[in-house]
Amino acid sequence: MKITRMESTLYVFDQDRRMGDANSPAGRIKGSGCVVELHTDEGLAGIGLGGGGVRPQMQAMVEQLLVGQDPRRVQGLWKRMVDKHFKGGHDGLINDAISTLDMALWDLKAKANGEPLWKTLGGSKQKIHCYASDIGLPMSDADLEAWYRRMATEYGFCHAKLKVGLDQDADLRRLEMMERVFKERTDAPMLYVDANEYWSPKQAIRKVSEMEERCSIAWIEEPARRWDYLGLRRVKEGVRTAVCAGENLDTLGDFLPYFQHRAADVIQVSYGMTGISCALQIADAAFGYELPITLGGSPGLIHAHLATVMPNFMTLEVPDPVVRDGVFTSDIEIVDGWAILGDRPGLGLEIDREALEKQRVDAIPAGSGPSPFGRRPGAGLYEVLPTAAEQAEAAKGVSA
Amino acid sequence: MKITGYRVENYVMQMDRSIADANNPVGDDLMPASLLWIETDEGISGIAPGGGDIEQFFHLLEGEDPREVVGLWRKMVDYVHKGGLVASGGPIAAIDIALWDLKAKIAQEPLWQTLGALEGRTKAYASGIGYCLSDDELFAFYRRMAERGVDGGKLKIGLDMTADLRRIGIMREALSVASDRPHLMVDVNEYWSPKQAVQAMHEIEKRYDITWIEEPARRWDYEGLASVSRRIKAAVATAENLRSIGEVYPLIHNEAVDIVNVSTATTGFTGCRQVANMCYAYELPVSMMNCQANYMAHLAAALPNHLAMEVVDPGREHCLRFDNTIEDGFIVLGDAPGLGIEVDEEALHQLQAHPPERKSNFPFARREGAGLYVKEPEVGEVPWK
Repeated sequence: MKITRMESTLYVFDQDRRMGDANSPAGRIKGSGCVVELHTDEGLAGIGLGGGGVRPQMQAMVEQLLVGQDPRRVQGLWKRMVDKHFKGGHDGLINDAISTLDMALWDLKAKANGEPLWKTLGGSKQKIHCYASDIGLPMSDADLEAWYRRMATEYGFCHAKLKVGLDQDADLRRLEMMERVFKERTDAPMLYVDANEYWSPKQAIRKVSEMEERCSIAWIEEPARRWDYLGLRRVKEGVRTAVCAGENLDTLGDFLPYFQHRAADVIQVSYGMTGISCALQIADAAFGYELPITLGGSPGLIHAHLATVMPNFMTLEVPDPVVRDGVFTSDIEIVDGWAILGDRPGLGLEIDREALEKQRVDAIPAGSGPSPFGRRPGAGLYEVLPTAAEQAEAAKGVSA
Repeated sequence: MKITGYRVENYVMQMDRSIADANNPVGDDLMPASLLWIETDEGISGIAPGGGDIEQFFHLLEGEDPREVVGLWRKMVDYVHKGGLVASGGPIAAIDIALWDLKAKIAQEPLWQTLGALEGRTKAYASGIGYCLSDDELFAFYRRMAERGVDGGKLKIGLDMTADLRRIGIMREALSVASDRPHLMVDVNEYWSPKQAVQAMHEIEKRYDITWIEEPARRWDYEGLASVSRRIKAAVATAENLRSIGEVYPLIHNEAVDIVNVSTATTGFTGCRQVANMCYAYELPVSMMNCQANYMAHLAAALPNHLAMEVVDPGREHCLRFDNTIEDGFIVLGDAPGLGIEVDEEALHQLQAHPPERKSNFPFARREGAGLYVKEPEVGEVPWK
């Protein structure tokens, strides 16, 4: 089997709620994405999701490194892509490109065997532990509570996460609300909070200590800058709550200081860290350190495949229990609060051609996709509360 | 596809020559050996060199799909949680290898491709394990390897500095047809204390540029290993006697190892790959330990940080056929599905029907004086003294 060419399509979609974090309290209601298809001479195509900002880089890599190669040799092709970018580094934009192509290669490898990716990886079919992730800092208390309740009752979630960071009183109030909702499901919900690098380490220690007096928190996510292993470790040693970090790192090497300095209690892994190939490597390294892995949000929840082969896998982030994008379907479902794997070959994704044609765009519109507004002023220094204009924007909900 | 049964055959491996190290310089050419078959409902079997008490795990495997090998690995490792891997590592490794063989056979591809390697090849180095060989035999072994392009060699040392220095020179001379600066490695198999290692390496490094010294202190002594590494120029290689990634962790965290010896000893392909990936995060190269029929080269070929795999070639595959060769200094794997190993059942039957009369000395016991003082070989114990 040989790779012949790549195709990519940008698309936009409407979210079911206004999403945002401490860096973007006004929130966003448009999502965007990119479907990448890696075609082969045998008619099979591998699907990668992502890389909307790096289509030229992906195209060049496909032409120079992948065309004519057998996608089943994905680990070796991954190394080719990484080594090719030795001088400039394989982080940043190049990382986005490699991650998306690597995903498509793994999809092809599994499809070549006619089996789901979890089986190609060697995993056993199992229920995947997961939690509902709000990404809903712009949402009102009432809307957020309704969302949590729907996650708990319709999908059976027992565990959930809350975006925090700008307004401690609101965060405490919403934390207790989240606990109340999920205690209706279980006596011991795992409650996570996420500050998205908005705090300094000492701010984090003060705020989390106060939260810990109200309820038991399973982890505080990104309580300091991604590279600040000393700060992360200070927080880790300063609070009872576990420190979870890593989401914005790009490469295996980026994690070395985390391991060596024991900077985090839980390591975040995603296929956006140089692909599925590297996600597996990071998880193995963390396993050697007895560190649990949490898999970040992924389109179609495809990270559930990886969970089956990570002995230190802890929990999977679920921002949306059903695919909102519209342009593809996934056979991974949330049932009774667990992610259930399917049996479709590959990643289990199927493209809806008609929807893709309808939602296709030539460029990603401003204000769509994750963190479109950059880092918020005051980050690491003091809290800049949502302005009146931001509050008014957030209050619109999903009606733009 | 479902696992339905298994078969273990035990035999005594009669090698074409003896192998020996500092703990037993006399060595032996007999080694107890086993082969494991895992059978399926579709007639395909997975094969692994190895065996032991498979029965204790079989209830975890029966009826399961062998392609789910990593999940089955997890079940086995979790099953022996209380007792740990020291007693049960062997059978788990054998099962894991046979399952990976099956997984690749089902996909009708060589295992290196199942593991995602770009090519079925990995760099080799020559390892005589030949403390029992005369100087001439030693030269002949390394020259034979060098003529196949192998440009690195490892020598067993530790009992006699004069002889060790002379024999490193013999190895270098033999390898010189492959390279002007062949990679020279030495291996003392935990016979020295850390300070003995530092002193000996000081002498050796006056004469030779050494790539690595293997096991210059006890396998678990991360402080001793780290202190050796800091005081010598050569890399410290170790870990072949560890049984899990958890045992490797203190070595890595405390900078006690520069090159990590990986093998099936850490629960087969699955556990070996975990260790190698952890090393990769730390920019540490790994070197695959030797094995019958070189089957671990499949994994080595897929690892981004694999340096070179040990090739001993003592002639121990009398009941096996395998499709890899040494060419231009590399182990070149073929395209046969799975490990590329077939068992010659008739030859196996003959080995079982006519076992050697004496018992094998394997595994070697630790030699007197280890870590304390050097007990030199007695006259007649080795041909080079």
